[in-house]
Amino acid sequence: MSVTIEGERVDQLLRIIVAAATGDYELRVPLVEEDDDEFLEVELGVNYLLEELALGKAKSDSQRQQLEARAEELAHQQSELVEALSTPVIAVWPGVLALPLVGRIDDERAARITAVLLERVAAERATHVILDLTGVGTIAGNTMPGLLRMVRAIGLLGASCLLTGISPAVAQQIVALGEVEGRAPVRALAQLSDALAHVLAQKGALRG
Amino acid sequence: MPFFYEEATTPQGKPLLRLTAQGEVTLADAESLGARIEEGAPNHRWRILSIVEKGTEYSAGARKYFPSLQPKYGAIAVVVTSPIVRAAINMMMRLTGQAPNLHLFTTEAEGLAWLDGLEI
Repeated sequence: MSVTIEGERVDQLLRIIVAAATGDYELRVPLVEEDDDEFLEVELGVNYLLEELALGKAKSDSQRQQLEARAEELAHQQSELVEALSTPVIAVWPGVLALPLVGRIDDERAARITAVLLERVAAERATHVILDLTGVGTIAGNTMPGLLRMVRAIGLLGASCLLTGISPAVAQQIVALGEVEGRAPVRALAQLSDALAHVLAQKGALRG
Repeated sequence: MPFFYEEATTPQGKPLLRLTAQGEVTLADAESLGARIEEGAPNHRWRILSIVEKGTEYSAGARKYFPSLQPKYGAIAVVVTSPIVRAAINMMMRLTGQAPNLHLFTTEAEGLAWLDGLEI
C-alpha cells in the first residue's frame, strides 16, 4: 500500500502527538471529508486514542480526589482517636481518677493531658489523682517541668497526686530539676495497685 | 435520538431492519439497537440495512459496545458516503476482528443486493 500525504497533515498529526506526550489530550486532528485516503483512518484513530486518554485521565483524577478525601478523613479520625487514647482518664473509685500514660510525652501532649485532667478533677471533685507512668519511655527534656506544674495545679484544686511506675530514667529527670521545680506535692509509689490501695486506705474504704 | 428504526423487507421479501443514523451516537443509542436484536427480541438475527449519514459521530462508549453485537444480527449492510464516517466504522470493524456479516457500501441498492444474496 502506498499513500501520498501532504506534509501539512503529517506535521499537524505530529504536533498533536507531541502535545499528548506532554499530557495535553485535549487537541484533536482536524478531519476533512476530502482527505479520502487510508491516512484519514490513522488521523481518526489518533483522535479516538486521545479521547480514551482524556477519559482515562479524568477517571484517574476523580479517583485520586476520592482517595485524597478519604485519606484526609482517615487522618482526622486517627487524630481524634490518638487524642482520646492519649489521655484515658479513668474514675477508678468515687473521687479517685487514674491516668495511665503510654509512649513519649512532649510539650504538646503534656499540655493536652493537663487540660483534660484538670477539667475532670474539677468536674468530678476528685480527691486523688494517680498518674501511672509505667508505659512512659521518655519525657521530652523541657516537658517534665510542665508535668510537675500540672501536679501542683491538681493540688490547688484540692486533690492529691500520686505518681506510679516511674522508670529510672524518669526518676533521674525529676531529680535533675532540683529543688524549685521538684517541689510539687508528689507521692511516688511503685505500682498503680499500690497507689490505689494507699488511696482507699486513706479513704477508709478498706476498713472492715 | 440519532437512530431511526423501520421494519421493512428486502427486494426479495426477506425481513429487514432499516436503520438510519445521524448526529452523535451514544452508548444508550447503541444499546437501543442491542435491545432490538438480542436473543428473543423481535429483530434478532435479522438483516439490517444501516444508512449512516454524513457527520455521524460515535462516542467512546458506543464504539466499544458495537463489536459485542456481532453475533446478534444476521448481517449488516452499512451504506456510508462520508469518508470520515467510513473511517470511523472501519475502526470499529478492526475492534470486532473478523466480521463476515458486516459490509460497507456506497449505495442502498448495493447493500440490499448483498443482503438478499446471503443465506441466514
